[in-house]
Amino acid sequence: MTTPMQTALAAPTIPTHPLAGQAMSGAEIVVQVLADEHGGVVFGYSGGAILPVYDAVFRYNAEHRDAAGHEPLPLVVPANEQGAGFMAAGYARASGKVGVALVTSGPGATNLVTPIRDAMADSVPFVAICGQVPTSALGSDAFQEAPVANIMGACAKHVFLVSDPQKLEATLRTAFEIARSGRPGPVVVDIPKDVQNTTLKFDGNSHLPIPGYRARLNAVAAAKLGDEACASLFTALAQAKRPLIYAGGGVVSAAAAPALTTFAETFGIPVVTSLMGLGDYDTTRPLALHMLGMHGTAYANYAVEDCDFLIALGARFDDRVAGVPDQFAAHARFIAQIDIDPAEIGKVKTVDWHHIGPLVAALEKLTAWGRSHAFHSDLSAWHAHLAQLKHDYAMNYNRDSPLIQPEAVIEAINRQTQGRAIVATGVGQHQMWAAQYFDFRAPRHWLTSGSMGTMGFGLPSAIGAQFARPDALVIDVDGDGSIRMNVGELETVTTYELPLKILLLNNGVDGMVRQWQKLFFKGRFSATDKSLRKKDFVAAAKADGFEWAQRLERKADIETTIAAFLAHRGPTFLEVMIDPDAGVYPMVSPGASYAQMITGPFIPSRSAPITPELAPTHMF
Amino acid sequence: MKHTLSILLQNESGALVRVAGLFAARHVNIDALTVAATHDPAVSQLTLVLHGDEGTLQQILRQVRKLVDVLDASSLSVVGSGMRSHLVATPA
Repeated sequence: MTTPMQTALAAPTIPTHPLAGQAMSGAEIVVQVLADEHGGVVFGYSGGAILPVYDAVFRYNAEHRDAAGHEPLPLVVPANEQGAGFMAAGYARASGKVGVALVTSGPGATNLVTPIRDAMADSVPFVAICGQVPTSALGSDAFQEAPVANIMGACAKHVFLVSDPQKLEATLRTAFEIARSGRPGPVVVDIPKDVQNTTLKFDGNSHLPIPGYRARLNAVAAAKLGDEACASLFTALAQAKRPLIYAGGGVVSAAAAPALTTFAETFGIPVVTSLMGLGDYDTTRPLALHMLGMHGTAYANYAVEDCDFLIALGARFDDRVAGVPDQFAAHARFIAQIDIDPAEIGKVKTVDWHHIGPLVAALEKLTAWGRSHAFHSDLSAWHAHLAQLKHDYAMNYNRDSPLIQPEAVIEAINRQTQGRAIVATGVGQHQMWAAQYFDFRAPRHWLTSGSMGTMGFGLPSAIGAQFARPDALVIDVDGDGSIRMNVGELETVTTYELPLKILLLNNGVDGMVRQWQKLFFKGRFSATDKSLRKKDFVAAAKADGFEWAQRLERKADIETTIAAFLAHRGPTFLEVMIDPDAGVYPMVSPGASYAQMITGPFIPSRSAPITPELAPTHMF
Repeated sequence: MKHTLSILLQNESGALVRVAGLFAARHVNIDALTVAATHDPAVSQLTLVLHGDEGTLQQILRQVRKLVDVLDASSLSVVGSGMRSHLVATPA
């Protein structure tokens, strides 16, 4: 019998490394692999079990400064390892490169658990390197010992505990390979301190075999969309009167936005995107219907309700999109799905046609097939219908209130940034208003904790994004609940003199939870009211070194204050006191279909919404 | 319905925990589990019994195949009957 181990494809070969054969400590090998595979900012916090690596980074940077004095592997130190994790994730999301965090054992590693799970849930390429107690002390309840492989194993794409120093270099290279290949994700490498201190011979090109993973990856990467599959998809498309593209975060990961744009516009198929897919398709173009789902635009959700053909691209029918899978796109007679991950095909919604493979190649093949067969379908009635939906059910809010409406603030910023700023968010109402009211012209401009919904994500991920894109305008749109979770990172912004813009929409409440309490718990606002909290956010920002820190309280000052907030060259902090009763609408209640969407007081609805009290409260 | 899975696994630190943890995290109960050596000391053979509908089986198989240490995973079917019955891999 031949095992896959023996038949596995060899790792790709690269030219011999100039340092091959040199003696190095394990710590120096960690740093050299970081320089080879990453070569960018490293986010982390030092501690006992990772000291040798921090020392090796220090020496490497001292020896390899460029002519301008820049370090090749700048170390950025957060207030808390969770901050480092989200900075690495923000760096990765904004750049498409692997984010790297470097932390110590025990609490250093466990503080990374949330960012690692967050990166897994949103498919973000990430390598976390954790110090660990010496191998001789493993399992002895040593000082700052935690079972990192066990804890992270349940959260990450993969975890390595390097117990054999000879495998350290190969493990680190393989960690980067796993993080960025296939469906990207976080990989944790746990390195005992004695391994960091072992003298080893540097190879320069070693990888672990991982034959099963590599064989499956190669099979998916090589999967080509055949002519027959193209023909069957276009046969269904030819019969459709109301086709729709549902694009997700996989389009961003695959760098497939240009291929998607060409495909959609060649055949005139309108596009809705998931929260993670914002930026897949320029929201200002005529075929764009913006975001679908629980807080999607009414016209996007009605389009899903009305479509008779749906093609999901790098999208996974998450419960915030397809809360009731049977009723999602219920009138679609044909549902197609393309994804890189075989486990996502038909996981939630049964599909009539699917392809597992790289998205760019698949979309280019479909476009070429359709063009070469002169495919044409008259969709003018559908386009007219959608234009009417966009007109009749346009996004709207309480424009007459004397109080500042959060939507108006975001619209004011968007008028200046025109969909070209990088926007990071926390989680809650402000996140949804930002998703709804900003335009997104390109991928990697929208950094949000979509699947995990981690409050506190916004500020550190914006910091990471600013390091990845030093010349870009990066805005953290945050809420008063979310920003508190990692408020220590305000100081990180000024320490590194980042020109970050922080917009705090303060309603003195955990607004999204309050909205659910209002709808589903008869207005009993258990533990969500923050109005008696004493924190002066502007004073706090000033204490952390923000020279430009202001509070906006008058509706008449929105335009001028926003202009000054964005124009200031250094870091800015703007707290906006918003209407505490502002809600996020539309809203598809959990357990409800799109037809039962609540459009709220300011957007018309084309049907009577369900009574919220009837919504099953066990639904999440 | 009862299903039997056969999983070939690289003998790496924590590999068994990752398989068992995946089942726990995805809320699929393992009714029976045996781990055996193979002729290759770097590879273990897991045989695992679970209950669930066809959708559960397919989803857990696909998730198992995403584990980096897993070399191969398949569902086994009983072929034949009585003394002559034996398990063979079900075509995917």
